[in-house]
Amino acid sequence: MPAVQETIDQVRQIDVDQYKYGFETTIEMDKAPKGLSEEIIRFISAKKSEPEWMLEWRLEAYRRWLTMEEPTWARVDYPKIDFNDLYYYAAPKNQSGPKSLDEVDPELLKTYEKLGIPLREQEILAGVEKSKIAVDAVFDSVSVVTTFKEELKKAGVIFMSISEAIREHPDLVKKYLGSVVPTTDNFYATLNSAVFTDGSFVFVPKGVRCPMELSTYFRINEKNTGQFERTLIIAEDGAYVSYLEGCTAPQRDENQLHAAVVELVALDDAEIKYSTVQNWYPGDKEGKGGIYNFVTKRGDCRGKNAKISWTQVETGSAITWKYPSCILRGDGSRGEFYSIAVSNGHQQIDSGTKMIHLGKNTSSRIISKGISAGFSNNTYRGQVSAHRKAENARNFTQCDSLLIGDKCGAHTVPYIEAKNATAQFEHEATTSKISEDQLFYCLQRGIPEEAAIALIVNGFVKEVIQELPMEFAVEAQKLIGISLEGSVG
Amino acid sequence: MNMQTGKTLSAAEAALCEAYDHAVGELPGDAAVLAARDTLISDFKQAGLPTRRVEAWHYTDLKAMLRALPAFDPAASAAKASPLVEGSTVLSVVNGVADARGAAKAVTVRRFAEALADGTAAEGLTARDADDTIGRINGAFVRDGFVIDVPAGTELAAPLEIQAVQNAGQTHTRFPVTFGAGAKATVVERHLAAGQNPAFVTTLSDISLADGADITWIILQAQGAADTHLGEIRITLGTDAKLRLYVVNAGGKVVRQEIHVVVAGEGSDLKLRGINLLGGETHNDVTFTVGHDVPNTTSTEVIRNVVFDRARGVFQGQIRVAPDAQKTDAKMSCNTLLLSDEADFSAKPELEIFADDVQCGHGATVIDIDHTQLFYLMARGIPENKARAMLVNAFVAEIVEELEDEPLVEALEGVIAAWLEKHA
Repeated sequence: MPAVQETIDQVRQIDVDQYKYGFETTIEMDKAPKGLSEEIIRFISAKKSEPEWMLEWRLEAYRRWLTMEEPTWARVDYPKIDFNDLYYYAAPKNQSGPKSLDEVDPELLKTYEKLGIPLREQEILAGVEKSKIAVDAVFDSVSVVTTFKEELKKAGVIFMSISEAIREHPDLVKKYLGSVVPTTDNFYATLNSAVFTDGSFVFVPKGVRCPMELSTYFRINEKNTGQFERTLIIAEDGAYVSYLEGCTAPQRDENQLHAAVVELVALDDAEIKYSTVQNWYPGDKEGKGGIYNFVTKRGDCRGKNAKISWTQVETGSAITWKYPSCILRGDGSRGEFYSIAVSNGHQQIDSGTKMIHLGKNTSSRIISKGISAGFSNNTYRGQVSAHRKAENARNFTQCDSLLIGDKCGAHTVPYIEAKNATAQFEHEATTSKISEDQLFYCLQRGIPEEAAIALIVNGFVKEVIQELPMEFAVEAQKLIGISLEGSVG
Repeated sequence: MNMQTGKTLSAAEAALCEAYDHAVGELPGDAAVLAARDTLISDFKQAGLPTRRVEAWHYTDLKAMLRALPAFDPAASAAKASPLVEGSTVLSVVNGVADARGAAKAVTVRRFAEALADGTAAEGLTARDADDTIGRINGAFVRDGFVIDVPAGTELAAPLEIQAVQNAGQTHTRFPVTFGAGAKATVVERHLAAGQNPAFVTTLSDISLADGADITWIILQAQGAADTHLGEIRITLGTDAKLRLYVVNAGGKVVRQEIHVVVAGEGSDLKLRGINLLGGETHNDVTFTVGHDVPNTTSTEVIRNVVFDRARGVFQGQIRVAPDAQKTDAKMSCNTLLLSDEADFSAKPELEIFADDVQCGHGATVIDIDHTQLFYLMARGIPENKARAMLVNAFVAEIVEELEDEPLVEALEGVIAAWLEKHA
């Protein structure tokens, strides 16, 4: 497997504790004052030239948020966040809607170049035709550039920043925004509803198969900023779209907050494939700094035979609190969740999924692979439920945990709830360390220990890697290798 | 963590607090016992009955389920039943009053009422943690039970049966039982109903196995269709101790069985087998935790549930492996046959692992009867209802057979068959 060899090389090149994406870009920023109030929300809304209804929507969420309490049930431990000590809006200056890449601040482009994002259309065009990827890049709070707009337009696909969509397609946004994750949903989702600054909007009309992968890169750059992006993807009857998001942030001593909301709506026979490679700064060796990642992601299989599939590779963030879920409302709909969560150092991950079976003949599949190393704690928390009318609901869940070292923890907390006699649920979970036999056979063949572990870990997560779009599978494998660097004794 | 903060009391909460104020003058116990009771009831007043918001009670909203509490009924009478296994030594508690006569000579038995009176019981009157509602209610109100000591090296030839028979009213009993090093015994703990009127029962067994003890403990809960049964079993295992614990639930309206095991000695082995036969309007919750605190221990848990009618079943199981508890081998499985559209079952099998050189796993399934198996039976001329009954029986009886103690296996199979006869 060449990819594995690459992982090993990559791991060797990088010293312990070096976060590849930890650079900072110096760009003049336009910031709102610190703190959260109705004024700040009015400011954000005005900055984005939003219609009145959007401002009202935000304010309603904000008022609701003031009455809510921060949840404490997850197995994560962090000092209390002072929500008034954050910037809720930071945008690169000179940014008045670039018409083409030439108008984008070259500093920004350099940043993305360092990130390895294929922003430059020609680079991609020079590549193989089928590996084309349309990218929306979000820098701190603002979507900077969206590529391939024209070509997507021809296919009838709308792919733009959500701020633009609010202005250009208000009816669509009004119809779907908050319909999967209501503004009252939970503490962080409500906060997001009040202050979200940007994110992506995708609309794939009836019968259209989106001609390319869509992708968004999120980057937090500015100090003390919270990033609150909002993504909304709608696939109409028979439509198909595959979407990938990636996330990075500079290295900083203080913790930064990221509270995103992602809503997916799949109508009759539609399919949405959503992949995430999350690599926010995880903090240093002592557990100082890093991103607090509190994310609400939910997909609604609203139509018959709709399908939503979540794939995630979680290697970054100091704290991850994330449960991409599927509401299987339409008869015959299907939900999938494939996850790799790697924690090292002092990272804390509490992640999993919810599969809510409401319709008849719905099925779901959960494959979760957790790898804990260092002093980290890695929890899978998931819920599978079949409601009274969910005849013939089917679920298969497998969550495996791998422990590397004796100072870390791996936990599994599944909730299995069956209210229908025809439901069939199967759940399996295992926790173990790397097999000594496997390691021995590798060493015996002259493979060094670190390489052998990378090899075994890549084998452990293979089922999930296979679900990623090809271009990102390689990147994900590298990331896992890097994340585990220094964990071998 | 308990989220409630002493708001208005529900009817059942108020009834419990009032009952305590009335009973406190005549509850047995010295000053230390009384102080412990006071602490427990004041904690209870503060926390109230648990709701869904308390994670440990996520599926059993006791506050909503307990509407009113039956008062003590002096007219109710109850009689001892014949033992589950013929030839057993029977220690009975009838309507809350223990009778220590009839104990085998090899075993020391004392009424718990005496231990309360002389204060030796005070130490155990504590709650395990903030969510231990059963420990609190039981500790505040307990009047009787047995303190049993099976001395080191003792091997009991016949099973020892602790039989609690209740007819309406309220009873709170406790059974601290210690098994000395190398002791071998089979204990049957039975909870039965003598009448139709609702009873409210809390019971707490505190079982400790010294090094090398080899014990089989069977809990058979068969209370009435209107009864509330809140049971707690606390277990500590010493080095090389072996415990086979069978928990069979075949009755009650609101049932919560908490089983908490501390694996404190290397080389020890726990086998938990649970059978939950649920029908009618029963809400049955089995909550199990095992803490592997030392290296080289094993535990396996197999829970089988059969759910009919409008019954609701819950299984919460947690395997904890402490840091340094290397070479732990722990496996848990929970299988459910959901046999009615109005029934439901919820499972929460948890793993909490802090050591790396371990083999831990859990599996959970919720299924209907296997249609191919049904077909093969019917193809052999067995009518459908009978074939179904056979398959359901086989699903639960399978784990009883593991006991390898002929009279005990037969007796438990009899209980299962009789229950299925009545409900299927």
